[in-house]
Amino acid sequence: MNLKSTSHFTAMQFVLACIVATLLFLPAAYAQEDVEFRGFIENATFVRTHGVGLTKSRTTLQLELSKAWNPSGLFSEFSFSGTFRGSYDAVYDFNDTTFGKNSGRSVHFPAPGNPSFFSFLVDGNPFNPPPFPPSVDPVYAGIFPPPIANGAIPLPGTGGNISSGNPNEGLGLLGEDVHNFENGGVVLAYPTRPCNIDSRGCIDGYMDDTLSDLRYQEFNGRWDFLRELYVDAAIPFDSGSELGFRIGRQQVVWGRTDLFRVLDVINPVDFSRHNIYDELEDIRIPMGIFNMEYRLGAKGPFEDLNFQGIYKFENFRPNELGQGGEPYAILGAGNFFRAMKNCWDNGCTVWNFPVTGVAVEFPTQSLGIRQANMSDAKDSHDWGFRMEGVIKGVGFSLNYLRYTSQMPSLRGGIDSDNPFTPGVESQFHPYALAFDIDFPRLSMVGASADFYLESVKSAFRVEVAYTSGEEFPNTLEERLFSESNVVRWVIGIDRPTFIPFLNKNRAFLLSLQVFGQHLLDHELQRINAQGIPTLSNVGMVDWKNNYIATFLFQGNYMNDRLTPQILTAWDFKAGSGTIAPSVDWKINNNWRLTAVINFKVGDGALAFDDNRAANPYPPFTCAPPLAAAGSPICGVPYSSLGASGFEPIGRFRSGPIGMAINEDEYQLTLRYRF
Amino acid sequence: MKQGILKIVIIGMVGLSQTVAADSFTDEDINKSFYPYNDWTPTADGYTPGMVIDQSNADQFQAILDEAMFRFVKDGWVTLRTAPTTDFPLSEDYVEATRQYAGDVSLAENGTLNNFVAGRAYPQEPNPDDPQAGQKLVWNYQYGFNSGDSETIYPFWWTFRNVKTGKVERQLKFEWHFLNFNHRVTFDPKPAYEENPGAIYRGIYGIVKEPFDLANTQILIHRYQDDTKRDNAWLYVGFQRRVRRLAAGQITDAFLGSDLMIEDFEGYNGKVTDYTWEYAGTRNLLLPFYYHNDMELADVPEKDPDGYKFIDVEGQGNCFPKVTYQLRKSFTLVGKPKDPNHPIGKRVINLDSQTMTMASLVTYDRKGDMWKWFPIGKAHSDHHLPVNEGKGVALDDYAVVIDVQANHCTTLQFKSQVTDDVNQPNLFSVQNLRKVGR
Repeated sequence: MNLKSTSHFTAMQFVLACIVATLLFLPAAYAQEDVEFRGFIENATFVRTHGVGLTKSRTTLQLELSKAWNPSGLFSEFSFSGTFRGSYDAVYDFNDTTFGKNSGRSVHFPAPGNPSFFSFLVDGNPFNPPPFPPSVDPVYAGIFPPPIANGAIPLPGTGGNISSGNPNEGLGLLGEDVHNFENGGVVLAYPTRPCNIDSRGCIDGYMDDTLSDLRYQEFNGRWDFLRELYVDAAIPFDSGSELGFRIGRQQVVWGRTDLFRVLDVINPVDFSRHNIYDELEDIRIPMGIFNMEYRLGAKGPFEDLNFQGIYKFENFRPNELGQGGEPYAILGAGNFFRAMKNCWDNGCTVWNFPVTGVAVEFPTQSLGIRQANMSDAKDSHDWGFRMEGVIKGVGFSLNYLRYTSQMPSLRGGIDSDNPFTPGVESQFHPYALAFDIDFPRLSMVGASADFYLESVKSAFRVEVAYTSGEEFPNTLEERLFSESNVVRWVIGIDRPTFIPFLNKNRAFLLSLQVFGQHLLDHELQRINAQGIPTLSNVGMVDWKNNYIATFLFQGNYMNDRLTPQILTAWDFKAGSGTIAPSVDWKINNNWRLTAVINFKVGDGALAFDDNRAANPYPPFTCAPPLAAAGSPICGVPYSSLGASGFEPIGRFRSGPIGMAINEDEYQLTLRYRF
Repeated sequence: MKQGILKIVIIGMVGLSQTVAADSFTDEDINKSFYPYNDWTPTADGYTPGMVIDQSNADQFQAILDEAMFRFVKDGWVTLRTAPTTDFPLSEDYVEATRQYAGDVSLAENGTLNNFVAGRAYPQEPNPDDPQAGQKLVWNYQYGFNSGDSETIYPFWWTFRNVKTGKVERQLKFEWHFLNFNHRVTFDPKPAYEENPGAIYRGIYGIVKEPFDLANTQILIHRYQDDTKRDNAWLYVGFQRRVRRLAAGQITDAFLGSDLMIEDFEGYNGKVTDYTWEYAGTRNLLLPFYYHNDMELADVPEKDPDGYKFIDVEGQGNCFPKVTYQLRKSFTLVGKPKDPNHPIGKRVINLDSQTMTMASLVTYDRKGDMWKWFPIGKAHSDHHLPVNEGKGVALDDYAVVIDVQANHCTTLQFKSQVTDDVNQPNLFSVQNLRKVGR
């Protein structure tokens, strides 16, 4: 993302300056110890099926440097470490018609219901002939002044025209990579080109990457090429304990889980690199953190006992979800946000709204996302503490973290225009699809443990976290979101197992994990907020209880130089999973080749209440049967009556795997280490 | 009153029946155990120290070669250069601890030791008529002075080689640390650290320095005072940035792709009670005991900034050390795993009688075929780094594991230092893995 303001950077710059000054002006009495330097250069090339083609051709250079001193005086240890990374992803050049400056297209879809709907809008009688010939192939976001027939129906709030700054080019249809719109739900389009080529739908300070930002991901205003940069120091005490510090840009990893982040939430994550499939070490976003640990060692009944406090002084950063048009946009969220932001700024055509077969044009500032409130979040600083140790052979931790959610919340209830009336009203409309993106403040309490059971020759690890303050879309609420406390847990079992007919000398690693998530304040029902029966479930789209299981089967041959494995994951509620066989070949101490095939299977896209059948703009959006019956409820706002579709929020039911159902890929990575 | 006394006697007799009574020993036992070469030198027919044993005369000296060594020499894989037998005395602290504590030691019914504090548990010459002789010998080894109370090995190079072609397939550079939490005789605190709630006997900590893909990987093993308790082990994986609890029971797994099982570390790294042990006799064998500074050394794998040079390699596949071998008295110990699923059929350990260290190990698979050979070259601590002088430790200096079935070997080149400079209990903690890792 672009850096729009330097003010939030000041703390990080200060710390970096301190580190440099410390390195330059260390007392001469400090004898210099060894310097470690290593790095790698690699190319990762991924190709996707379903006609997409190249999705990644990223060349990365990473350097790691560490220098230790033998200090005298207060410190027993003092060292400096840095990791520098730069990359170039050529996909935006080699496949620029899919991702990049020439991506997207003009979009078209039929709207056979338009004539009667337009007639209804004109004089309330859908059976009168429309004042224009029936449209057969309306052009999205076209100009629609009567009596020209082509185009979607402009709602009265548009004043008859959609914004000319929103042409029908460089677009994709939301979710077209996952479903075929077969369920008649709403359809939106989103701009696909980098923000300096096409600024439509770009969200300032949040999802506003230029072509250069996408190509050279680390070279941005947050200096991400300085991936990690910190100093370590320790102050010993006569008791044998010590106070350790690590100050600077770093990763702080809590928890004992692979793939899932239950306690491991201190650093945000860049999902745009490769969804959930890259190692967390590579996709965590290091942050400027003051990390202090009091290490007691063996104390009382504890074989090991430590207390840690952390304070994140670098300003807030959210997870990178991938903006609209990127190859990896987890949940398709970036595409969705970009579509909605474009709607807000420029107006947009929505297909199958208010009913299937009709396409209407929304005016600006009525539907969509207004802004991401980064300024509220950027000045919040996370802090937490952890008690960790070993007792009777069981490793354990107790954790607390106060932090800003790295996942966005769509908060409705912002002032918006009524699209059915001309003029600018700018007021609160209950149940209106008009949002800001916010990042709520959360509190997390958690614990973890690991132990070994000889009877089953397996190592076990468990982790649990209780989080308060999280927000979820909720179509029962006037602002279309509500809070829920959440419990997440994971149980992992690792068992090295000999399978002699496959390998006499080396055990296979069998690793099973089960992850659970429970929304304690979940709401889901078949009547709306006003007690009217609904067509489908309404309320919170996220599952009340969901479970995901992963299983890894890994072997080693040729003295661990050849590592074949199969990684599988299954999202039970979403009904989708992934199977990823791979082979890792360490050709020699320097060269390494990794080949992966990543398949997705299952149900893919799932539908949910899309809020079409709510009544945010009474009486215009009152359900026809209620209007025909002259129901007085038409005159007041009411929550959704449960018309559903894949878009826009069915994605939260489908989950990251379900939304990537058609992202089968072949992946090859070649690395040279030095 | 008489009934009470009778009860006490009966209870005492019952108690005694649960253990094997402590063996008494004499000064002569001590001298023979720790100083066997004071007034005796091992001999063999036709053998003269300084001679070369190779393919041409291997048959003549089969009796003084372990089974694997004989096979390699006979096949022309290696030529042995011999040297006179020399004294490798252990630390006087260790010998004195033996005098002080060995008399109280006894074997429990489950094969563990009672009342062991420090020193050599059984300094007596093993008795072939003693069914417990093997068990006693293995405890001498387990609580031996292999690396003193505390040792650092850095750098420690492991090289994976193809025996047939000599091609170097992979090279790992480690830093290893060993610490005895109790049964200490040289470094303070003696005999044990007071604050040891986990009742750890020995800590092993290793960190991979190279290659890049494994760099910063760390392993921590806790061996407990209670031999029946399984080790706990943890692995810090750099690319995951966290500590993983290992299934420590799987110690028959190859470590990081080498030819060593975790159970092979230091010769035998498992629970004594996991095996049955048999004393299979005393033999004079040619063992790799030498003065490091007098050997043909090399700057490979890496030129050491302190000027230290490593034992060079030679022979088939460059799997063998360029060292001299001396004829030494050894006890042959045969261990058979109790687990029927264990891949090893038996371990034949040749213990050097003076140092009670594993001089060579030959393992056989379940079919009875020879599988691996694992000699450990021992350097006299007075002829090594200055820091080791006077420490009275037969330093691990070179080792190789040759898998004769896979035609593969892993050579281990050591820079060992017997020191407690950095080896304090906190180094062997789980938290230290996180502290060091990044």
